[in-house]
Amino acid sequence: MDPTRCEDLRSAIFAGDAERGVSAARLLLAAGQAPLEVFSGCIQPALVEVGERFSRLELFLPELMGAAAVVNAIQEVLLPQMQGDASQATSGRIVIATVSGDLHDIGKNIVKTLLQVNGFQVRDLGVDVAAERIIRAAEDFKADIVALSALMLPSLPYARDVIELLQGSERYRGRFKVMVGGGCVSREWARQAGADGYGDDAVEAVQVAQALMDKAGVPP
Amino acid sequence: MKNTSHLLDLIRRSLAGPLVDEEDFNLKRVSQGVYRVVREYEIRANPAAIVNQDDELADRVWQAALDFLAACGVYCQDTRRVILYSREEIEARLREAPSQVWLGEGTDACLEVARKVEDARVPLNMGSPIGSPVAEELFVPLMQSYIQEPGVDVTCAASLMTVFGQEVRTGSPLEVLAAWHEADLMRLALHKAGRPGMAWTGLTMSMSDVGQLSAAGPAGLRPGDMHTFGLISELKTNFAILNKLAHAIRLGGIIDPYANPIYGGLGGGVEGQAVLIAAAMIALSAFFMAAMVGSSPTHPFNFNDTGPEVMRAASLAFQALARNSHLMTNLTVTPVGGPGTRTLLYECLAFTVMSTVSGISRILGPRSATGSIPGHFSGLEARFNGEVLQAAAGMERGQAEQIVQRALSKYADQLDKKPYGMPFQEVYDLDTVQPKAGWLALVEEVKKEAIGWGLPLA
Repeated sequence: MDPTRCEDLRSAIFAGDAERGVSAARLLLAAGQAPLEVFSGCIQPALVEVGERFSRLELFLPELMGAAAVVNAIQEVLLPQMQGDASQATSGRIVIATVSGDLHDIGKNIVKTLLQVNGFQVRDLGVDVAAERIIRAAEDFKADIVALSALMLPSLPYARDVIELLQGSERYRGRFKVMVGGGCVSREWARQAGADGYGDDAVEAVQVAQALMDKAGVPP
Repeated sequence: MKNTSHLLDLIRRSLAGPLVDEEDFNLKRVSQGVYRVVREYEIRANPAAIVNQDDELADRVWQAALDFLAACGVYCQDTRRVILYSREEIEARLREAPSQVWLGEGTDACLEVARKVEDARVPLNMGSPIGSPVAEELFVPLMQSYIQEPGVDVTCAASLMTVFGQEVRTGSPLEVLAAWHEADLMRLALHKAGRPGMAWTGLTMSMSDVGQLSAAGPAGLRPGDMHTFGLISELKTNFAILNKLAHAIRLGGIIDPYANPIYGGLGGGVEGQAVLIAAAMIALSAFFMAAMVGSSPTHPFNFNDTGPEVMRAASLAFQALARNSHLMTNLTVTPVGGPGTRTLLYECLAFTVMSTVSGISRILGPRSATGSIPGHFSGLEARFNGEVLQAAAGMERGQAEQIVQRALSKYADQLDKKPYGMPFQEVYDLDTVQPKAGWLALVEEVKKEAIGWGLPLA
């Protein structure tokens, strides 16, 4: 891997400069680098550093969002060229939503962005999302994980509805792992509700998602 | 000043402002807008200090917040439009804002007044867990433990985890019943504590308008009680919030809302969060006709506001407000520590000293154990907090900084360990509703320690 071009790409990710990032990625491909090597040798280490610096609050949400935008733009260029290797360039596919009755989105947005910079493909359904819509979106997106956020106590029952609907349906049972988090959600609640994972904060949410994708699972 | 004309104007702007995608509002108007004014107004906080010592910096934060708010506006999620007021309109509204208000009734009534930086007047003490979750059977003794404290002036209800044994759902009839149940139980707690006229706010668990409004009439909240709602982070509203506001104005209620900008979020670090906090407080007054405005700025991972970065931003923002307006402002202390821990007391001490010298008119809380662990809070920490308010009033910022740094050094390494402590029933005798000896002794030990640092506690 050409270290100068890789450094250009890394620098574009940190600067949130999608145009420069795509250009650097194209140059690496033109130099004969395999797309998967660009991901694993250049993009992935930069994203790990972005995530770690955010977890220490040396970087903030706008920079995190900028890095995620660069990677999304690069993926659009690289993924069509990766054929069978494409799945190896992503950590997993996640549908994320704030459940019915709850309009808070900033915590969910932080989790979403940190998942993205850690290589997950994330479809964000927004806030106040009904259980049926979350499940339909998970099916449509071919999600591995459904991630649910709830800040306020009276919205918690709606998170449980999603889990019950998934567990009670022959069609959906076992198809998606469910992870939960948010101000009113506790580890104990997650365990009782039958969630597959619980993240106390955005950093733990990424660790939980990675563990769920490793198929080892994590106790909530 | 609240009135129907201003309300109609606000509603009209929410229906006629620029149509903007919410993601664009977040990124372009809020995030880029904050970064712009931080750069243009040269907002750079001293990374070594918690309590701001720089008056010119505080004044630049005020100017930056006005500039930012006039350009950014407040987003209405239901109409997807931005509510905009010009800088001149905002400044005119701020001139109309009240600088004092009576809260409560009879001999339990108290006067809240706007304060200045290093003001000798003591801020009010709203002793309360501020909407933290509590089991139904513990609600009355727990709230009584706050209300009975002589150093507590006003209060705010905890949130019932169930109503008549049933889990509450947003927008359901159970939310209506829960709001009424909360009002009934608060009346009972006020009477049991012998302070029936004390002002309270609450109904905070009612996220929907129907839940809160059902009990927000004179049979629930009285004329001397406060009506509250929170802006959605960052700088967002919706029809449910505007419905609550419209109802409160038609009742002639005291409007006491809040906004809790998130550190490391759309505003970035200390400087951006300070601007966002100040702008949100200005918006609550100028757009939403609040009588008083408040915040519990939030750390994104620990969910507290007692860490150094958030306290630094809060001190700067509230000094900007105190120096440049006559708004009544409040901060909620949201510690990580819970009852029975030294961490909780050190956090309260640092945050409340910082807040008092920075010019707040009222402290809220403590919302112990980040307000998220059921029943992990008690009235004794509000007694302690009230004593800290008394001791810190009139203190110079330089001395306050030294005390805050001493306290911070005692708990900074505990924050990510989340020492949530013990539940109410383990630190209080439920028969007498009095703190147990162990919890009392710990408070006395920390008080002696703080007196040694120069905090003149009684």
